[in-house]
Amino acid sequence: MNKSESPIISVKGVTKRFGSFTALQDISLDIRPGEIFALLGPSGCGKSTLLRIIAGLETATEGSVAIDGQDMTGIPANKRPVNMVFQSYAVFPHMSVADNVAYGLKLERRPAAEIREKVAEALAQVHLSDFAHRKPDQLSGGQRQRVALARALVKRPKVLLLDEPLSALDAKLRDAMRLELVKLQESVGVSFVIVTHDQSEALAMADRIAVLKDGVLRQLDSPAALYKRPVDRFVADFIGSINMFAVSGQRAEGGQARLETAELGAIAVPSDHLPAAGQGALTLAVRPERVKVGAEAPKEAQGEGGLVSVVGRLGDVAFQGNSSIVEVLLEGGGSLSALVSEAEADHLMQAESGSPITAWWALDDMLILPENATAA
Amino acid sequence: MESYRKNFRAFLAFFTPPFVWLVLFFFVPLGIIWLYSFGETEGLTKIRLTWTLENYKRLLEPEIISLFWRSVWLSVISTAVCIVVSYPIAMVIATAKPKWKPWLLLVIILPFWTNLLIRTYALLNILGTRGRLNDLLHWLWSAGDRALSLIGLGDYHLLGERFMPVKFLGEPVGVMIGLVYVYLPFAVLPIYASLERLDRSYLEASLDLGASQWRTFRQILLPLSSGGINTATVITFIPMLGSFLIPDLLGRGQVDMIANVIERQFKSGNDWPFGSALSLFLLYITFILLALQSFHAMRQRKREEARG
Repeated sequence: MNKSESPIISVKGVTKRFGSFTALQDISLDIRPGEIFALLGPSGCGKSTLLRIIAGLETATEGSVAIDGQDMTGIPANKRPVNMVFQSYAVFPHMSVADNVAYGLKLERRPAAEIREKVAEALAQVHLSDFAHRKPDQLSGGQRQRVALARALVKRPKVLLLDEPLSALDAKLRDAMRLELVKLQESVGVSFVIVTHDQSEALAMADRIAVLKDGVLRQLDSPAALYKRPVDRFVADFIGSINMFAVSGQRAEGGQARLETAELGAIAVPSDHLPAAGQGALTLAVRPERVKVGAEAPKEAQGEGGLVSVVGRLGDVAFQGNSSIVEVLLEGGGSLSALVSEAEADHLMQAESGSPITAWWALDDMLILPENATAA
Repeated sequence: MESYRKNFRAFLAFFTPPFVWLVLFFFVPLGIIWLYSFGETEGLTKIRLTWTLENYKRLLEPEIISLFWRSVWLSVISTAVCIVVSYPIAMVIATAKPKWKPWLLLVIILPFWTNLLIRTYALLNILGTRGRLNDLLHWLWSAGDRALSLIGLGDYHLLGERFMPVKFLGEPVGVMIGLVYVYLPFAVLPIYASLERLDRSYLEASLDLGASQWRTFRQILLPLSSGGINTATVITFIPMLGSFLIPDLLGRGQVDMIANVIERQFKSGNDWPFGSALSLFLLYITFILLALQSFHAMRQRKREEARG
């Protein structure tokens, strides 16, 4: 993807208030042509509101949205070059599948032959050619979603907006549909903006993810960057699983900072490892797959930063097939989990629960996170 | 609901009173009326059951046909006006903020709690030639006349030389105003219920696909609320067709509907058998309409269930 390309959607300083409640606060982001962009966050974070503002179904209290360089302020939903797949799909129950797909085209006053051709093409694209004359009540949830997709895509939108597209499907279908949506996006080439509360969905599908919390954009990054370099405690906790230790005290000591935690004791880190921005208490965090366990931590330091090690007792071992999650009960209270290979797990299983065990990880693998990186 | 089988005595205790009531005061009188309709009057007070079809043949007399016809078209027009007026009202209530809804519904239901007779007399006061409505029209006429004088057209008397009060009472229009007024809540409530249930994203999807507000209304909102409109039509049309008090008071004997004629057969006309035949004919019409409605509703429900 060419980063210098001008954005297809540009959201600038959008704030939305419902009475005294602020649903979105000063959101600015760009969506690039041809990417899958996810708006991710817990329910009530404002992600659907942002999508509806882009679609024109809701008006921003402040700020503006531009689509393909054109300011959309004051332009109603029916005049915007974007289309939406609704969470409930909103497939018109009194029209056949073909009529649903043709609905938007008939409004453009295209010739009947052209409409028929385009409808057939769109239905083929979502594998519903045989269902053209069915009524929506004769379709499954997944099929109805395809109708909604075809109905929106047949309008050749500049961006397709999808509001929780997979949440109404059962688990098995959801996984299949993830792949199918990505393939569909590749074949039609328009940008998809997907609203989701499911981080694994966003990680699997999106090129870039915007993480929202309480109407504030916390981080916008690629899935890998979000996972490896979350900017704050909330993002780290929301994306994947992670061990976290609250820092209770902090002291500068030469070029180093000594961070006090209840579970790990005091840990010295280079001062330049500390987060530059943000507010609130610091948190130390390490992903389970970075944690190693054994009888004793290796003596020689790995990498430049050295090791962090902590002694505890062996807790539960949860078998996960090719790997296992090992729980280490810490002496300072609390616990941490480590992801270990099958072979290591076998070895650990022989040890008795409660026997002493050491967990360690490279200092470089440990994240030092502020409570909130965006707040002033 | 299956548990009544386990406790048959309790079931009997609850079931018997309404059953007896229904048989005694509904089915038995209805049966008597049915028998009367095949009878002949004898003298002043006697009715002899002769199984004659004469009473039903009289239904085909021109006056009776025109009476039925008048009842039907008065009811059809009043129902149509009711639906057209109710739809926007129902829409306003359905889209109002949740805290306002109960109050708006209350305003619609409130007239129900006032006696029909009192409401109809109130309408007499409003619709009379010297009533409030004509007062308002008179005022508008004066204002219009004065405005015309001001721009120099006063001499032409474009609005007439004098104000002529509009005659509502004793005219079909007066009866229709009464019918619409009285049965409006019956129409608002089912339409409101169907709009309230409607998923708003259908409308948003229509707008999103490029449809105008008007087109969305016509092609999405109207068909999707057709269930409510059907119910509203049936439950306003049927009582309108059989209404008695409104044409009696507002029609002043000039705009009779079926029920007025039925009443007359049983009272001043003293022709109970013919009155019975008229009543049953009205009942049959009602049954047919209800059957059509429930057939339609059944189809609708089936569709909704499958959609579920």
